[in-house]
Amino acid sequence: MTDAHGPAAAHEPAGTPDLADVVRAARAEGRGLKVVGAGKWSGEGTPAARVRDGADQVTLRRLSGIVAYVPGDLTLTARAGTTLAELDDATRAHGQWCPLCPWGTDDGTIGATFATATTGPFGAALGRPRDLALGIEFVDGEGAVARGGGRVVKNVAGFDLVRLMVGAFGTLGIITEVTVRLRAIPAADVTVLIVPAGGGVRGASPPAGAKWPPAAGSSSIERDAAVADALIAAEVAPSGCAVLDQHDARLLGVPAGAVVARYMGSTALVRAGVAEAGRLGTVTETDGRFWTSYRARDPHPRMLRGSPLSISVARRLKGRFDPGSVLNPGILGEDAE
Amino acid sequence: MDQLARALSGIVGPQHVITRAAELLVYENDGLPGYRLRPRFVVAPGNRAEAIAVVRALAAANAPFVARGAGTGLSAGSLADGIVMIGLHRMRQIYSIDPVGRTATVEPGVVNARLSKAAAPYGLHYAPDPSSQTACSIGGNVAENAGGPHCLKYGVTLNHVLHATVVLPDGELIELAAPRDDEIGYDLLGAFVGSEGCFGVAVDVTVRLTPNPARVCTMLADFPALDGAAKAVSAIIAAGIVPAALELVDAGTIAAVEASIYAAGYPTDVEACLLVEVDGPAAGLDDDTAAVQRICRENGARAVRTATDSSDRERLWQGRKKAFGAMGRVAPHLVVQDAVVPRTRLAPVLRRIGEIAERHRVRVCNVFHAGDGNLHPNIPCDGNDADEMARVHAACREIMEVCIGEGGTITGEHGVGLDKQPYMDMLFSPESLDAMCRLRDAFDPARRANPGKVVPVRYCREWNASPSARKAVGAAP
Ligand SMILES: Cc1cc2nc3c(=O)[nH]c(=O)nc-3n(C[C@H](O)[C@H](O)[C@H](O)COP(=O)(O)OP(=O)(O)OC[C@H]3O[C@@H](n4cnc5c(N)ncnc54)[C@H](O)[C@@H]3O)c2cc1C
Ligand SMILES: Cc1cc2nc3c(=O)[nH]c(=O)nc-3n(C[C@H](O)[C@H](O)[C@H](O)COP(=O)(O)OP(=O)(O)OC[C@H]3O[C@@H](n4cnc5c(N)ncnc54)[C@H](O)[C@@H]3O)c2cc1C
Repeated sequence: MTDAHGPAAAHEPAGTPDLADVVRAARAEGRGLKVVGAGKWSGEGTPAARVRDGADQVTLRRLSGIVAYVPGDLTLTARAGTTLAELDDATRAHGQWCPLCPWGTDDGTIGATFATATTGPFGAALGRPRDLALGIEFVDGEGAVARGGGRVVKNVAGFDLVRLMVGAFGTLGIITEVTVRLRAIPAADVTVLIVPAGGGVRGASPPAGAKWPPAAGSSSIERDAAVADALIAAEVAPSGCAVLDQHDARLLGVPAGAVVARYMGSTALVRAGVAEAGRLGTVTETDGRFWTSYRARDPHPRMLRGSPLSISVARRLKGRFDPGSVLNPGILGEDAE
Repeated sequence: MDQLARALSGIVGPQHVITRAAELLVYENDGLPGYRLRPRFVVAPGNRAEAIAVVRALAAANAPFVARGAGTGLSAGSLADGIVMIGLHRMRQIYSIDPVGRTATVEPGVVNARLSKAAAPYGLHYAPDPSSQTACSIGGNVAENAGGPHCLKYGVTLNHVLHATVVLPDGELIELAAPRDDEIGYDLLGAFVGSEGCFGVAVDVTVRLTPNPARVCTMLADFPALDGAAKAVSAIIAAGIVPAALELVDAGTIAAVEASIYAAGYPTDVEACLLVEVDGPAAGLDDDTAAVQRICRENGARAVRTATDSSDRERLWQGRKKAFGAMGRVAPHLVVQDAVVPRTRLAPVLRRIGEIAERHRVRVCNVFHAGDGNLHPNIPCDGNDADEMARVHAACREIMEVCIGEGGTITGEHGVGLDKQPYMDMLFSPESLDAMCRLRDAFDPARRANPGKVVPVRYCREWNASPSARKAVGAAP
């Protein structure tokens, strides 16, 4: 693709100052930049595919590595291009993990996970990106480098640049570094398959108050949420659960209509949770690797309900953080207006 | 009466516009001694429609203002220096409680503890529980992103707010909702929570309600050595236990509490006590309790008392909850400080704080949310003694420097307000502070909401650039 300024270029900065130079140059020349982490979520139909043709590409893969990790504090700071797998390797050695587990795979980068605020099957119970992010460094659309938050688990110093960047899809700044909250790996971690007693999932009788059965035509996220509600109304809630339609069930090798639930915690707690799950049907323990395929397989589209920039505050933010529309131009659907 | 006051009387009724100096007195300070500023007048809307109309009238008059909830803030954040104060204390209506969806929608002036009380018949409560919960308002909590003892397990205000209706300072009404997992959009609600009244006025707030735990077990561990207590804190968290609360009360605080009418039976011959609460389903709770007791002993605890029935538990909590009140009796004033350090640095930081106190001849009593590393070094003092106050401020500054040096921050829950502004550039670069200014400007381009708070104005590039830039910003749509 080409535009008025010649063919699109590809940049792979190795540090934040280099990245800031790339952004400043793009701003000066009036070029757009397509931000890429590991590039795993950029195919047709993804938000990244909306980025305007002709934008230069800036890839953050070289901006990787762990900057700080004090296991006793259960916090870790990593550069944006660090993959979730790398993060997991570093923390697992200390009996800890970052429970992000976003839709997709662990080849994805931490920068992208926070920039897209991608949650996963355990987000409601263990924290979404906005809950797990403690600090952030970013380069804005004019090449200024700024930081928000810090490396401690509680912090209200200054206006919240962390929540501003999480989920902004790189349109207000390119995330260069993130500090995350970690958790100790629980003593027990059990995944069970619940085959509902008679009449499928819908025939099961959950406790009063739960939204049950899931409405016809509901999305898989909504279906999971409904089952989670039912299970959560039980005294011991699972950390996540999945309800599969026939197609996905076949693909993932579980009986159609079955519910898969994951219980994490102390041994006694998990035992009690599994026992309670028995109220919904026949329970058998299954391989925890199910979640890896489930996350990679299950499509959870992210929708634009009109452009977010139709909101006055959002439009003014864009004007103040990326006045030249350098960063991921088009990704918010602004071209469709 | 001033003309603007008269105009606003037409909206809220003349009895709800306070202009007389004697009546303004109670609005001149918040919970932090040492700051006193008089508002031009106070206007107190009685409902959402009035609040919106007031903000719009102020916008039309181009008048800056400060919103105020209950005035329990501890950073001088709700003080108004000769400008209009909007008092939200009359807006105390709980619009609705949805026991199935576990949410409540309230006016901003609703007092924190009253919401939990209203939710109690459904077996629910509002989880963020600042120690001021019997007085502070939900609007103030949202504006400060307030925490509390039980936020260790359940999360701070940010994690419990689902929606807010906000009047922007220019009069526009916007709905801010927690981001959905299947949509794309900026987390404007996340940015608003903790914005200290500088982004607009929340006129209603929807929060999540939390089911009461099936079981609760509270423990008090006595530590002859402060170091041991600090180390036990890290060890408990590192073991994967997430206590509902994990609070440290030091010898100075214990002495104040035990000498007061709130005496809770804390031992006066130890350097610190840890108050540890675990809660949740019955299953697994005994394991957690046993693990906490073991870890405390391993770190030098002399004894660990356990309370499971509610009257015993209340007694153990009393020493913690009444600590501020008890310290208030030791001296005319109490400077409640707030800072955070990484948990593993608690022991050395507490030692350094002790040294600083000694050097400046002030008395520091520590009582704080240890599980989060959120320190409250409190200094009982006489606010009218200039020499003592100078020493108090010098000590506070050094404590902040130590916390920053250890990789911590200058406030974990009380906010920056006016009080912490001098430390902002020790923590953030000029570029970061400018980015915060720009975030604020997106909500309030004319900077009429709580002007002069949080980020020192000299760091706002655009604002300082030129008078014409200033005008352009002010005139942005
Ligand atoms: C098979 C698959 C399915 C997925 N399904 C979903 C889903 O259903 N729902 C969902 O929300 N997510 C989904 N994701 C996204 C995923 O969870 C992560 O967001 C992604 O994997 C991160 O990996 P990446 O580094 O490859 O991101 P990339 O593909 O490189 O980037 C993803 C987006 O993030 C932006 N970005 C990347 N890095 C930064 C940065 N440092 N600063 C600012 N912006 C940045 C990019 O511009 C791009 O728009 C899926 C991913 C995969 C691989
Ligand atoms: C004894 C004591 C103990 C405390 N313990 C804790 C604790 O454990 N945890 C903790 O976090 N805090 C604690 N605090 C501090 C204080 O109670 C909190 O900051 C509380 O959230 C302030 O609420 P308020 O209603 O009193 O707000 P105010 O003091 O009236 O205002 C605080 C800020 O909020 C803004 N504001 C108020 N209402 C609105 C609104 N509707 N819209 C927009 N902005 C608004 C104001 O402009 C101001 O900047 C304590 C205070 C005291 C005195």
